[in-house]
Amino acid sequence: MKVSAAFALTVALVATAPAAWSQEAKDQLVIARAAGTTAMDPGFLRESATIVDNIFDTMVERDSQMKLEPGLALSWKSINPTTWEFKLRPGVKFTDGEPVNAEAVKFSLDRVLNPDNHAPTISYIRTISKVEVVDPMTVRITTSGPDPLLPTRMSRYPAYIVPPKYLKEHGRDYFASHPVGSGPYELEKFVPGQSVELKANDDYWRGAPSIKTVTFKTIPDATARTTALLNGEADIIEDLPVNLVPMVQASPNDQVVDVKNGGLTIYLGLVMSQKPLDNLKVRQALNMAIDRKTIVNDILHGMATVSGTQVGKFDFGYTDIPAPKYDPAAAKKLLAEAGYPNGFTITLESTHRYLNDDAVATAIAQMFGDIGVKVKQKVLDWSVYLQEVPRKGPIFMLGWGSTQTLDADAAIYPIMHSGEPYSTASIPELDKLLDKSRKIVDPSKRAEVLKQVQELAAKDVPLITLYQQDAVYGKAKDVVFSGRADARIPVYTIKKQ
Amino acid sequence: MLRYLLIRAGQGLLVLFGVSAIVFFSLFLTGDPAAVMMPPDATTAEIASFRHAMGFDQPIWIQYLRFLGHALTGHFGDSLRYQQPALSLLLQRIPATALLALTALAWSSLFGFVFGIIAALRQNSALDLTIRVVSLLGQAVPVFWLGLLMIIVFSLRHHWLPSSGMGTAAQLVMPSLSLGAYYFAAITRLVRASLIEALGQDYVRTARAKGLSEWRITVRHALRNALIPVVTVQGMYFASLMGGALITEIIFAWPGVGRLAVEAIQTRDFTVVQATVLFSALLFVVVNFLVDIAYVWLNPRIRL
Repeated sequence: MKVSAAFALTVALVATAPAAWSQEAKDQLVIARAAGTTAMDPGFLRESATIVDNIFDTMVERDSQMKLEPGLALSWKSINPTTWEFKLRPGVKFTDGEPVNAEAVKFSLDRVLNPDNHAPTISYIRTISKVEVVDPMTVRITTSGPDPLLPTRMSRYPAYIVPPKYLKEHGRDYFASHPVGSGPYELEKFVPGQSVELKANDDYWRGAPSIKTVTFKTIPDATARTTALLNGEADIIEDLPVNLVPMVQASPNDQVVDVKNGGLTIYLGLVMSQKPLDNLKVRQALNMAIDRKTIVNDILHGMATVSGTQVGKFDFGYTDIPAPKYDPAAAKKLLAEAGYPNGFTITLESTHRYLNDDAVATAIAQMFGDIGVKVKQKVLDWSVYLQEVPRKGPIFMLGWGSTQTLDADAAIYPIMHSGEPYSTASIPELDKLLDKSRKIVDPSKRAEVLKQVQELAAKDVPLITLYQQDAVYGKAKDVVFSGRADARIPVYTIKKQ
Repeated sequence: MLRYLLIRAGQGLLVLFGVSAIVFFSLFLTGDPAAVMMPPDATTAEIASFRHAMGFDQPIWIQYLRFLGHALTGHFGDSLRYQQPALSLLLQRIPATALLALTALAWSSLFGFVFGIIAALRQNSALDLTIRVVSLLGQAVPVFWLGLLMIIVFSLRHHWLPSSGMGTAAQLVMPSLSLGAYYFAAITRLVRASLIEALGQDYVRTARAKGLSEWRITVRHALRNALIPVVTVQGMYFASLMGGALITEIIFAWPGVGRLAVEAIQTRDFTVVQATVLFSALLFVVVNFLVDIAYVWLNPRIRL
């Protein structure tokens, strides 16, 4: 009987299965992530760049303190407000032997900028109008207007430098599953939906990496992912949920890596075109009615930082603005002044995506209830939520950040400037300041305008900032890894003791 | 007979047609698909150019007809995330799902039959009672809970089995056990019930009167007749398992059709969603059709 034979075979194989997953060499690393890897063309990513970041280089990079540092470019300077010049690092080669030169840089940027290619993240480098080769080691980039962020834009996707000859020979589809770059690792094996295995590029320009093979495994379920860590099947796991933190802490071989200011800043979007959110006093009242400290300490177990600005601590332009004081009595008074002595009824939308977001939304609904605002809670699936968020609400919970640009602009402009797809705010004075901030190249002058933006936002409440989430990882104790504010995992810097 | 089969085939085609309409038009339910597929900060010009490139700017019925035509020839378009044809993605995932589904179905059928027969023959004994309680539990326990429980016990506590992934036989054990638990329970109960019914039939009494051995009566006469409903149900189980064991595949990070579908829905990878849904529908229609034929074959008294 076939059926029993198949089962007997299974049992037999299981009985002899080697316990290979528990013992592993010091130069091997396994990282478990929630999201699967689909395609690895760094110019056309539709997912986070965690893996390709280890295969490819950018001209500009960031050190562990998030300061810009030379990558494939040795130096860069602005020649005039709309032109930047990058001097490349000589002698660097892609792992297929092609040289990393000005031609490769031009090719890499041009293919993303070409509108026919429909690059999903073209907007990150949209300000570029022209890329010119000055000499083999010099590139000149012209922007359509002054763009103070250009060096930053050159430090993240889609600005990874790719080998032109290899790409022209094999085409984009092949490249997406057989990527070749100049980074510390090269692709060894790609099993779609399961894992990506990289091996060290011993000719890497910074020197050979100490971890020789790294495997990125996909484990979507958080409990299963955490188990893989505790079981020794993974050395590092991403997105450790708050409720499983105690499990990792209790394990003798594992640790929690809690990266402060490493996650998104959670806020309540307010659709200002709808009554009563058009009223400043109502917005201020809601802002004061939330007990952020209790939410962070009790619901998030301290895995977040209360903040009064959307700009993250590591972002350029960050201004330390304290969160509004929790004062339900004053909030009630403001509501009465605004003409709502008995409060009103309003819908609060939230989703399942952020740390304990359900519990946080419920807590906020209760706190609003305390000042007489009756909340109808609506919890939607993320894929549906994304469609509702910019229009409906009128109050919705969303996470936003400047991740990988580490600049205030990405953290505030898209959600505070009127007319932007994700913005529901409309404050003319704020728009003016935001516009101004985009035209200044001088860093200190720009920081001053960004400070004014944040101060005005704290006063006029275009949205209600709640807290910035930590990035929470789990890791084995013998792995040296402290996490980064930009959420990257540069395996090159990781060691195993 | 032929007329009946033709009618059934026609009905199957209608079902597929309906499903194709639903998966196609659901793409437009949540607003402009081009805006959805482009990143949040894309400009209107970029969205417009993408819309044109994807053909979303044409009348919706033309788009639907084109979709139908392409689907008939197996072309669902490229996956936006994978930058690969959706159908080939689906085909890549089928072996993994088939392995899991067949293993789960194999052990659950084998043990379901054995326990079902024992329970029927020892009706109302302590053994029967135990089997009934176990099979009731098997159907009542949610698959995700059972899966996580097994991970905790067998991986975390005892380090006997790897917690997730696919490749070794050890990695197949927990997913197939947790996935098959429900079917094991269902088959046990079904075999028990139909065998008890068959054993009470006149032909069994006649066989007994003829002095046949109890073994012969059970296996040759009663069990054969008791099989008919079981085979029908197993056809359906196989179809639903092949459509993807969504929860099991996610918990155990199994790279099958179900996980592909869930991830495609979450990331709005529409071509992949369309391909997987149509694939599942096709599977159900085909299996249903085969079961209809099997009816006639198993029991010649059934006249269609």
